[in-house]
Amino acid sequence: MTRHRKFLIGGAVIAAALGYMIYAGVTQSAVYFVTPSEIQAAPVAGKSYRLGGLVAPGSLKWDPRTLDLTFTLTDGKASVPVRHKGAPPDLFGEGRGAVVEGNWSPDGHFKATLILAKHSEEYKAPHDAGTGYRELMKSLRKAGS
Amino acid sequence: MIPELGQAALVVALALALYGAFAAGISGARGTATLLQSAQHAAVGVFALLGGAFVLLTYAFLTFDFSVRYVASNTNLGTPFYYRITAVWGALEGSIILWGTMLAAYTVVVILTQRERAREFYPWVLAVMLGVLSFFLLVMTVAAPPFQRLSPVPPDGRGLNPLLEDTGMITHPVALYLGFTGFTVPFAFAIAALATGRVGEAWITLTRRWTIIAWYFLSLGLLIGGWWSYHVLGWGGYWAWDPVENAAFMPWLTGTALLHSVMIQERRRMLKLWNLALVILTFSLTLFGTFLTRSGIIASVHAFTQGAIGAFFLGFLALVVLGSLALLAWRWDALRSAGQLDSVVSRESVFLLNNVMLVAAAFTVFFGTVFPLLSEAVRGVKVSVGAPFFNQVNVPLFLSLIFLMGVGPLIAWRRASRENLRRNFVGPILVGVAAAALFWVLGVRSALAALSLALTVFVTATIVLDLARATRARLRAGESVPRAVGGLLVRHNRRYGGFIVHLGILVIALGVTGSQAWSVQTETTLRQGEVAQLAGYRIRFDGLAGNEASNHFRVVGSFTVTNGRATPAVMRPAKKFYPQESSPIAGVDYHLGLREDLYIVLGDFARDGSHATIKVQVNRLVSWIWIGGLILTLGTVLAILPERRRPA
Amino acid sequence: MTRLWRWLIPLSALPVLVLLGYGFRLNPRDVPSPLVDRPATAFALTTFEGQPVSLESLRGKVVVVNFWASWCTPACYEEAPVLERGWRAWRDRGVTVVGVDIQDTAEAAQRFIRQFDLTFPNARDTSGRVSIDYGVYGVPETFFIDRQGRIRYKHVGAVTDDVFRATVSRLLAD
Repeated sequence: MTRHRKFLIGGAVIAAALGYMIYAGVTQSAVYFVTPSEIQAAPVAGKSYRLGGLVAPGSLKWDPRTLDLTFTLTDGKASVPVRHKGAPPDLFGEGRGAVVEGNWSPDGHFKATLILAKHSEEYKAPHDAGTGYRELMKSLRKAGS
Repeated sequence: MIPELGQAALVVALALALYGAFAAGISGARGTATLLQSAQHAAVGVFALLGGAFVLLTYAFLTFDFSVRYVASNTNLGTPFYYRITAVWGALEGSIILWGTMLAAYTVVVILTQRERAREFYPWVLAVMLGVLSFFLLVMTVAAPPFQRLSPVPPDGRGLNPLLEDTGMITHPVALYLGFTGFTVPFAFAIAALATGRVGEAWITLTRRWTIIAWYFLSLGLLIGGWWSYHVLGWGGYWAWDPVENAAFMPWLTGTALLHSVMIQERRRMLKLWNLALVILTFSLTLFGTFLTRSGIIASVHAFTQGAIGAFFLGFLALVVLGSLALLAWRWDALRSAGQLDSVVSRESVFLLNNVMLVAAAFTVFFGTVFPLLSEAVRGVKVSVGAPFFNQVNVPLFLSLIFLMGVGPLIAWRRASRENLRRNFVGPILVGVAAAALFWVLGVRSALAALSLALTVFVTATIVLDLARATRARLRAGESVPRAVGGLLVRHNRRYGGFIVHLGILVIALGVTGSQAWSVQTETTLRQGEVAQLAGYRIRFDGLAGNEASNHFRVVGSFTVTNGRATPAVMRPAKKFYPQESSPIAGVDYHLGLREDLYIVLGDFARDGSHATIKVQVNRLVSWIWIGGLILTLGTVLAILPERRRPA
Repeated sequence: MTRLWRWLIPLSALPVLVLLGYGFRLNPRDVPSPLVDRPATAFALTTFEGQPVSLESLRGKVVVVNFWASWCTPACYEEAPVLERGWRAWRDRGVTVVGVDIQDTAEAAQRFIRQFDLTFPNARDTSGRVSIDYGVYGVPETFFIDRQGRIRYKHVGAVTDDVFRATVSRLLAD
């Protein structure tokens, strides 16, 4: 076998191995972007999803003792109950957009393993204009003394 | 005043850069010395104007000049002094002007150092550098002007993104950009080589140090980025395979490949085409990285604002890629190898494999990053691939690279004899296997971790073996040990600099292995006085306190930590409330150590201070990543020292 | 390699470049407002001049609801003149602009209104409920509501003259 041939074959083997690894990697870790309507229509248990929507006002429940966070994500047409273990991240709240990653539980809710926050330059968010924080500082100073 | 002055400076600089690029190009084709002189003057003018504009912008930041829109968007009256300086490059427009200023500075250095050394290439190199500068100046004047006027002038600015108020963000963009822009020089030389037809080793020898320095700054930028992510973002990780991180990692991978493959061309006159293609690819990836983070086509936690700028970058990227590859095709015949690969068991072959692995890793990262685009274009389905994909494919590649790192420097050129293999590798392999057995005995059950550690030991053994042998030879000549080792390092600084860089990589690999395999974490809510336990640490919640800083409020949690051995420490993770942000920013507190880091993030808390939710992590061996970075620095410095002619 | 085959090299880069160009047609950062095409939530506020303003009373007109704050620089500063111009040009054609000031102090807000000489109704969202009902995530955000009271378009960031004119004409033509 000529040297040239050897390299071509070696190269082809490496390319095939790489291709296989990439294929396996993609099929195993692919995450599908869906809206609440889309996932309500045809949820597949065990598939990784990224679900985006609005956190329905009034649906947020957080229990610090058990670390259970539940809320509903809606796109105006369908609503999906979501459960997450762990404190809500910053940039997360009722009436705001959120994207969660996880899978569909056979019990009929979305089990979120990750809540994603987006940090954008363009957005300027409502704030307490200082007054809310002053109250907070006061109450903490009282508690600390 | 300032907006108009700054903008005018940029417009004039653009005109000069365009003129200089054409003048240098024509001079390269025709040999007209006067045009070349004129182009040089233009380049110096561009540097003066661009540098001046940058200083002007910084001045506007320092004096709270809110008539400049960019200043009003990125700072406010409460921003501390030093962050007002770093805010200059905190957002899109400023980062482009920083890039341009660095590029102009590099161009001046090229003028000063290459004017005499590289006569044939010089006009073309200057033309390319001024051409790239023209593009960035075009972006600065049209697509993302830093000197836009804001009228009426607001009484206060918006403020800096609080995540950027950190020492990491002072140095990370600067280091990263020094790396990105640094690769423009080897690229310019590659184009010069193709334009003049001198595609031999000359262009490589001239750019060796540039490539190493650019590669080093890129490495530094990536490491600082990891450090910043680790201690600011509050998720306890240093790398997330985020598209923006990937954008900087890809040129690093191909740049590393380039550093190695040029050695083959220097020694054996092979791989001419490969090296040129690799330089073009690396430079293109630096442009692609900026395109990715500015155009908004890939969703990312880092995503900046969109706009016409994406189209500009894509257009320029297309011009660079298609143009360079066309030049490559044109000079095809001259790119044939003078040498041949004699044997699969040889240093050439190992270096080639190294290149293949690195390019494969770069391809994997690229594929994973653009996969959402691809799947939407082909199937109309929005899919992305997360960290598991990158880890799954890249880990075997990186482990192979570590193995090759041990084999490459010791194996013979052309064809390694059995004797050569036995002398160099039997010992280290045995040591590696013994180490693996030892780890097993010590309780390491993760096969991947054991393999990674064993490979690290193997490579270290090869380095020690080589150093020991060379030192022994000098000892026979009557030198003392320190002088012998010192003499070796200085006389063969390229080789030993490379070894030290390899050691740095090994130490980083050690840190990565440890943190991935053995870190633990927990999340819990504590009432005042309650204790959480993790990995031998007892963490007691003492209480919350509030205080004010110049531009934010903070709620600080007090936690007393004991672990049986050391004295109790108090850790204070905080939540910082910036008035211009919708939600608080986590302030992590951490206790770094060689063996492990203790890491606490304050999550939710009760307003009366009665309870707090915390996330606690014990991250193992992470500090070795930063130590590896220091070793990398030492190795790089040694490698770029001027070569001594006489024995030390 | 024959003379022609070598030109495959630059051509091979084209598919990737085309793919990247295709990326522009998509917009992954669009968190589409789930409220689009839904009936706009009613609100009833009192303007800075003491007049009542409610969404109900404006039914039959195209309503542009703009959420702003005096501390929102530079975007709110850039769009205030745009909104005022739009109000003056289109108020006689069945278009109303309502500004909702959120998380702000009354004095700073009134200073802002005076600075830009705004004549369209502006009210403070004292309870904060309106911004929650509209899913307002940041300022400025502007909602374009059609004559049947449905939210048809949400604009994030400063509104420009072109956006105002194009959207309002479209909704009037419906």
